[in-house]
Amino acid sequence: MSSDSRSYKAQVLAELLSRKLTRPLVASLVSCVHCGMCHTACHYALADPEDPRMTPSFKGDQLRKIFKRNHDWTGSVAPWWVGAKTPITDEDLEALKEIAFGTCTNCRRCTFNCPMGVDTAAINRTMRGLLTAVGVMPEGVRVVSKDQWEIGNQMGVLKEDYLETLEWLSEELVAEVGDPAAAIPIDKQGAKVVYAINPREVKYDPRTITNAALIFYAAGEDWTMASDWWDQTNFGLFSGDDQLGGSAGRRLFERVAELGAEKLVISECGHGFRSTRCEAQNWAGVDVPFVMESAVVTMINYIKEGRIKVDRSKNAIPVTYHDSCNLARSCGITEEPRELLRLVVSDFREMTPNRQENFCCTGGGGAMSMSEYTPRRLKSAVIKAKQIADTGAKIVATSCHNCVDGLSDLIKYYKLGCQVKQLVDLTAEGLVLEECAVRRTPPKVVSVPEPLPQVAPAPRPALPLAGRTVLVVDDEEDARTFIATVLEDAGARIVYAADGDEAIAVARRERPDLITLDLSMPGKDGVEAFTELRHDPEIASTPVCIVTGHPEFRKVIYDRPVAPPEGYMDKPVEGEALVKNVRRILETAHAAA
Amino acid sequence: MPQHEPSALLHTVEIIHWIALGIMGVVYSIRVWWLLRFRATRDRQAPGNPERTNARKGALYSLANVAMPWAMESTRRKPLFYATFVLFHLGVVAGISLAFLSSLAPDLVASPAYAALSGALLAVAFVVAVGRIVRRLTTPYLRLISSPDDYFSVIMLTFWFALGVLAQLYLAGVVQGEGFLVAFLIATSFFLIYVPFSKISHYLYYPFTRYWLGRTLGHRGSMPSVRA
Repeated sequence: MSSDSRSYKAQVLAELLSRKLTRPLVASLVSCVHCGMCHTACHYALADPEDPRMTPSFKGDQLRKIFKRNHDWTGSVAPWWVGAKTPITDEDLEALKEIAFGTCTNCRRCTFNCPMGVDTAAINRTMRGLLTAVGVMPEGVRVVSKDQWEIGNQMGVLKEDYLETLEWLSEELVAEVGDPAAAIPIDKQGAKVVYAINPREVKYDPRTITNAALIFYAAGEDWTMASDWWDQTNFGLFSGDDQLGGSAGRRLFERVAELGAEKLVISECGHGFRSTRCEAQNWAGVDVPFVMESAVVTMINYIKEGRIKVDRSKNAIPVTYHDSCNLARSCGITEEPRELLRLVVSDFREMTPNRQENFCCTGGGGAMSMSEYTPRRLKSAVIKAKQIADTGAKIVATSCHNCVDGLSDLIKYYKLGCQVKQLVDLTAEGLVLEECAVRRTPPKVVSVPEPLPQVAPAPRPALPLAGRTVLVVDDEEDARTFIATVLEDAGARIVYAADGDEAIAVARRERPDLITLDLSMPGKDGVEAFTELRHDPEIASTPVCIVTGHPEFRKVIYDRPVAPPEGYMDKPVEGEALVKNVRRILETAHAAA
Repeated sequence: MPQHEPSALLHTVEIIHWIALGIMGVVYSIRVWWLLRFRATRDRQAPGNPERTNARKGALYSLANVAMPWAMESTRRKPLFYATFVLFHLGVVAGISLAFLSSLAPDLVASPAYAALSGALLAVAFVVAVGRIVRRLTTPYLRLISSPDDYFSVIMLTFWFALGVLAQLYLAGVVQGEGFLVAFLIATSFFLIYVPFSKISHYLYYPFTRYWLGRTLGHRGSMPSVRA
């Protein structure tokens, strides 16, 4: 295959594969014997037996074919003999996207059922990562990834909204228990525990935050939440983007370390726990000076240590437990949730199969953010629906926010008449507050609440962009001045351009560390200028942050046959967010270099 | 066994056969070197479930998985398929053994006990292999994922098993015709040279794949699997 006949994206994808190859991944790529044993392990295949494309090894073959064509002896010499093939056109990449994102939740059930030990989920995640790197991904994945990159959490929750939510939750809790010590501490320096959550909790399910706060209060815990970098979820796991995964993890780790905590407690989220506890250190290449623990383990320990008291009879409705794929198969958390449930509910019923053999809720792997695949997802959910119905339970407990959404969706679709709850909810509902540590111990040992929102005093940092040169490209003088002023205040040296041609000339002359680029400009617009910048070998690697008031251009810029921009912001731009984004891009670029 | 005095042809084939083994050994060594050239991974995170398992236990469990049909749902629920897997691979062992022992220990392979066991294993493996061809041809999802190499490999082995049965019968004095042994050894030589370039090389990769998967999941605490 001549590389000349490939589309730009297809060529880049094949080149990027070389950088992603590790020994375990290569071993998985070369070991499949196409025995088909994985077929009955996959909920997509079981629910749609007429469609052979649902077989996991077919999904794994998509990357395997590219690998063989580019890296394997036989595949290089006689590709047709071993089914080696490399994508040629952008349409080929779109077809790969459909398979990698639309027919697999990376649940890893096939991995556990493969006689050869082929990790098809890891293969599929790598395929997703390659596609993401060349800008071929479902729109939902693109939007969520962008939010995580640029706002710092995957649902784009703004800091003020987050703090306001915590404030009213805190006020409600204080009123409910009648004790100001129940307030939610924010940025409490030196607290033993930092509690990190899923942004879904802020946006759609704040009761889980209140319930966790109630349990921490009841246990007399010295805890806090962070005012920023509080998101324990990580869309890098779903998109296959290790850079995003590492960056999101590093932010959280640094924040916990800054607060001086001994332990990071991760709220109930399967992919969040897996990303933070098991993957992010490897993606980011960092070690952490604190312990990381699932909130489930924290709650069990509180009960075992007598710090909280629960009454099982308060939860008398039949409960079953759905194992999150990420917790059970990728992190080994199977017994802890059951241990907790047996302590807090009086009628617990096992689902069959369970633990590492459980079926996916169908909402994993980022599936809930890819609405274009919803019909197929709900069709595959028939397997899960039958599992739930067979238990006769009225509550499905789970330790994962994605599972909450996936299960709620399928329960509604298949009219199962159940509700979904998290273990933190059931534990909080079973609490006997009068017999918990906080009521048994004199108030003096209970942590004094911090006023809300409380930001701990910190030493004044050096200007974040000191020593950096930023080229600000915008045809509107007001916008140019605003961006330049904000970045200058953050310590950057600014150079300007008012159109595409000038931008290229200034970039070649000044060699800036970063370019903020407007898209809609007279003459050579930002899209053309961006493409030209990327094609100039001397400045191609300069990080670019798109700043535009035309969101419709977003797809255009990402669809260019060049490496995508490092950042993207919609106008109007908020000063603090701009500095954060620029800083993040520069740090990521520096780390990558 | 006077009929087994090697002819010049058989002698030549035996030499070729040993050369093929040497080539396979060299190619396999290169394969392992090639695999180990890729980047190693490292688990920075603290172990999960250290009271129950660890990377070593996970790796050992994973490596032993092949002998534990109860360990995976896919083999637990399909005992017949697992049995055919075992018989097929025992047939391969019997065939390889026969090929080398026919020149190294001709008296042993001609003994009734050995001949009965070896012949039976090869015959059963032949039947299983035919079944595998039929399965691959008639199952839609297997057809979709099968390459020419997948078909050729199983057809080649099927013929090889059949030739093995005939060679074993010849060596045991049941049938006449040195040609069976010659054909079997030529097929084995081809087999030895071809397999490193085909899917059959999976057995070379198996320990690596299983070890790395088990080590990773063991470190995380999810292997060995816990069952209710």
